[in-house]
Amino acid sequence: MELKPATPNERRQYYREEWDVKNVPDFIRNTLIQREFGFDHIGRGPNDRYRVFRNSDDLRKFMRVRTPFAAYSSVAFYNNPKRRGGWIKAELVFDVDAKDIPIRTCGCDNVCEICLNQAKDIVMGLLDTLQGDLGLKNINVVYSGRGYHIRVLDDAVMAMDSDVRSQIVKYLVGADVPRSEYSSHGMKYNLEHFTIPFGYPQVFTHRVKQALLNLTPDTEIDDVSKDIKKAVIKNRELLHDDQWGIFRKAIGPVRYGRLVKGIASLNLTLVDAKVSIDLKRILRLPSSLHSGVSMKSTLIKNLETFDPFQDAVPKFVYERDDK
Amino acid sequence: MVSISFLNPLSPEGKDIVRELGSFDGISQDIPELRRLVTRNPSQEIVADEEIPSNYLELALKRIEWYVKKKNDREFNSRRYSFLSDQAITKYDVISFYLLCQSIGVKFGPNSRETRVMVEAQGDLVQERLGKLSLQEGRLMVDQSLQLLLKGDTVHWTFFQELLSTRKIRLTELVLDQGELILNPEDFIDRFGSRIKHRNPSSMYQLLIGDELKELLMVKMVMQETEDYIKQVHEKARIMVEPNPILLELAEEVAEILAEPMQSYGYGSGRGGGGPMKAGPLNSQAFPPCVKKALEGIKSGGRNDAIVLFMTPFVSYARLYPDVFRMNLSKRVSDQDPQLEITQNEILPLIYEAAQRCVPPLFEDQPQEKVNINAKLGFGMHSELKMEHEGETTWYTPMSCEKIKLHLPHLCRPDEVCKKIGNPLSYYNRMLWEVRTLKPADDSGSTTASAENSSEGVEENNGSPGKGGTTPDKPGEA
Repeated sequence: MELKPATPNERRQYYREEWDVKNVPDFIRNTLIQREFGFDHIGRGPNDRYRVFRNSDDLRKFMRVRTPFAAYSSVAFYNNPKRRGGWIKAELVFDVDAKDIPIRTCGCDNVCEICLNQAKDIVMGLLDTLQGDLGLKNINVVYSGRGYHIRVLDDAVMAMDSDVRSQIVKYLVGADVPRSEYSSHGMKYNLEHFTIPFGYPQVFTHRVKQALLNLTPDTEIDDVSKDIKKAVIKNRELLHDDQWGIFRKAIGPVRYGRLVKGIASLNLTLVDAKVSIDLKRILRLPSSLHSGVSMKSTLIKNLETFDPFQDAVPKFVYERDDK
Repeated sequence: MVSISFLNPLSPEGKDIVRELGSFDGISQDIPELRRLVTRNPSQEIVADEEIPSNYLELALKRIEWYVKKKNDREFNSRRYSFLSDQAITKYDVISFYLLCQSIGVKFGPNSRETRVMVEAQGDLVQERLGKLSLQEGRLMVDQSLQLLLKGDTVHWTFFQELLSTRKIRLTELVLDQGELILNPEDFIDRFGSRIKHRNPSSMYQLLIGDELKELLMVKMVMQETEDYIKQVHEKARIMVEPNPILLELAEEVAEILAEPMQSYGYGSGRGGGGPMKAGPLNSQAFPPCVKKALEGIKSGGRNDAIVLFMTPFVSYARLYPDVFRMNLSKRVSDQDPQLEITQNEILPLIYEAAQRCVPPLFEDQPQEKVNINAKLGFGMHSELKMEHEGETTWYTPMSCEKIKLHLPHLCRPDEVCKKIGNPLSYYNRMLWEVRTLKPADDSGSTTASAENSSEGVEENNGSPGKGGTTPDKPGEA
C-alpha cells in the first residue's frame, strides 16, 4: 500500500463522514477539560496551541469545521490548560517511531510493513517490562500513524519528574550494560547478564537478543567492527535457543563486551526519550488523521492481532482513483 | 548493641535523644565525658589537645572536617578520627548531626554546596560505621534500619521516587517483580526460584541482593532523609523569627572548613591544580567529542536542540564562566562580559557557524531560532542582544552528559576522558588543565590560547545553580 499524504478534500471527508468524537478514547475524553490541545492546520507543525475544550461536543464541532491536518492533546493534566498552568500530572509515554528504529531491516525511506512490524515487536517487549517488572496496569497502546505510543496512566507514575522518567526509559530499553562482577563475603564472582533470569539483567538480555537477531552488516554500532558483525550473523542461530554462553565464546569475550556496550547505546534510541521525559508534551490525538501518510491514529484493543494496514486505513484511501 | 540512631539520627531513637536535650541552652558548654571517650578510644591516634572535640559544636565540625580531609587531603589519616566510629559517642553524635542540619538549613538552604557535603558526609559516615561492625551485627543493623525506613513488608518501586530523581540510586540496581522490590531471600526464591537453572538460588540471592543492595538502599535512604530534613528546616526558618546565633556561627565555621581545601589542596579532585579558573579564549582542541561533532554541523534531526539548547550554553559558559559548577553561583553574561564584546565577536559567531553547517542550515528554514539563542543567553525573546533585556530569561547552564544522551543521542560518542566527567564543561576544564600542566604552553600554537587558564580540572556536576541544567520547557510534539 502506498502511503501518500491526504488532500484537504480527503481530510474534510474523513472528519465529516468517518470520524466520530466517540472514537476518542475514554482516557482522554474523561479528562478533556484538563488537557491542552494543539493543531496543525497546514502541515507545518502544531502551531495552533493552548486550545481547550469544555466538552466532547465542542471538540466534535471544532474537528468537523476545521478538519485539521493534524490534532494533538497534552499528556499533561492542568488546572489551567489554557495557559499550561497549574500542572497536576502527566501520562508516562513511550514513542516508538518505525522510522527511527535503530536497527532497521527494511531500509525503506518512510515506514513500511516490515519496520512497522519491528516497531510492534519492540512495543511488546516494552509492555512486558512495564507490566512484569514495574507492575504498571493502566496502559494504553495507540497506533500513531508511523509507529506506536505507549501511554501509562497509573497514578503512581503520573506525578513523577523527568529524572525518574529518564531512569524508567533506561531500564525499559536496556541502555546500560548490567555489571558482571558481583561479590559476596570477599569473594568475587562473574555473572554475565544472560545468566540472570530476572530483573534488569533479563530485560537487557531480551533487548540485546532482539537487536542481534535483526543486525545487518551495515548496522553502525560504535566501536564494533565489521568482523564482529560478521561473527554475530554467523553465530546468532545459537540465540534462538538462548545458548548465550556458546555464542559469547564464538564471538570472543572481549569483542562480546564491546558488542553489548555498543548495543546498549543503540538501545537508547528504541524510544524517543525526549518524548518520555517531557512533562508537557502534546501527542497525536488517537482517532485523528495522520495526514502525512493517510492513516488513522488508533487506540489498539489487541496488539497481537492489530494490523495497521487493515485497522488504521481511512475509507477515502480505498476510494482513491489510483487504487 | 549499637543504637539505630548511630546510623540514622533521624530515626525515632535519634529524635528521643534530641527531645531529651530540650533546648540549646548550654550547647557550647564543655562535655568532659565526650573528651574522655575520645581519648580512651584504643584505635585513636593521639592528637593535639585542641584537636579533641569537647562539646557538641566541635564534634559537629569534626564530622565535616573528617569528610573534607578524607576527600582532599592526600595525607589523610583516618586514625585521627577513630572516635567518629565509636558507638559510645552516639548521644553526642546525634545532637551534633541535628546542629549541623539546622545550621546549614537556616543559613545555606537545601541547594547549597554545604548541604551536598553534609548529605554525602552522612552517607560516608554510615558506611564507615557499618564497616567497623561484625558481619552479624552489621546485617542486623541494616535490616532493622531498613524496616523502619521502608515502613512495611511489600515495597513498590515507586516508593523510591525521590532517590531515583536525585540519582542516589538507579532503577536498574533494584530487583523488581510485579512492581515490588525483592529484598528478602524468601520472596526471592518464591518469585524467581523456578527460573534459576544450574545454580543455587540462595547463592544467587546472596550475590544479587544479599548484604550489598540492602546496605546501599539503607545508606541512600539515610542520605535522602538528611536532605529532606535540611529542606524542612530551611522552609521553617523562612517563616520564623531570628535564627539562633549559635546556629549561624556554626554555619560560618562549616563554610570555613569547606573553603579551606580550595586554598590548600584544590577542591574536588585532590590532585592539586590550584587557583580559580579564569575565563579565556576558547581552545577548540579541548572540546569534548559531542561539541566537536556539533561544530561539524547536524545532518539529521535535532538541529534546534543541538544549537539552541546544547551549543549555546556550552560555548558561552566555556568562554565566559567555565567554573560555574564549582562556584555554584548564578551569574549573568554581562557579569563576565560587560560590553558584550566577547559575546558578539566570539561566542555568537561560533554558534552561528555551527548552525550554518547544519543540513539544511538552521536559520534558513527557522530564522526564529536566533531569538531563542538570545533567550538562552539570558536576554529574553528579542532579535537583538540588548542590556536592557538581560534577566528576562535565564542564562542556561550546559546540559549534563545524562541529558545529552537523552536529547541528542547522536552526538554522544564518548572517549576515555568522558568516563570521568558528567558534564561537557567539566571535560573542557579538565582538558585545559591537562594541556596546561602536562604540556607547557610553548610547544604548540594551539595550546597557547589556553596557557593562562588554570583549573583544578575535575568536577563532576550534573546539576547547576539556579534554573539551569535545562530540561527544555518548550513542549514539543510526537
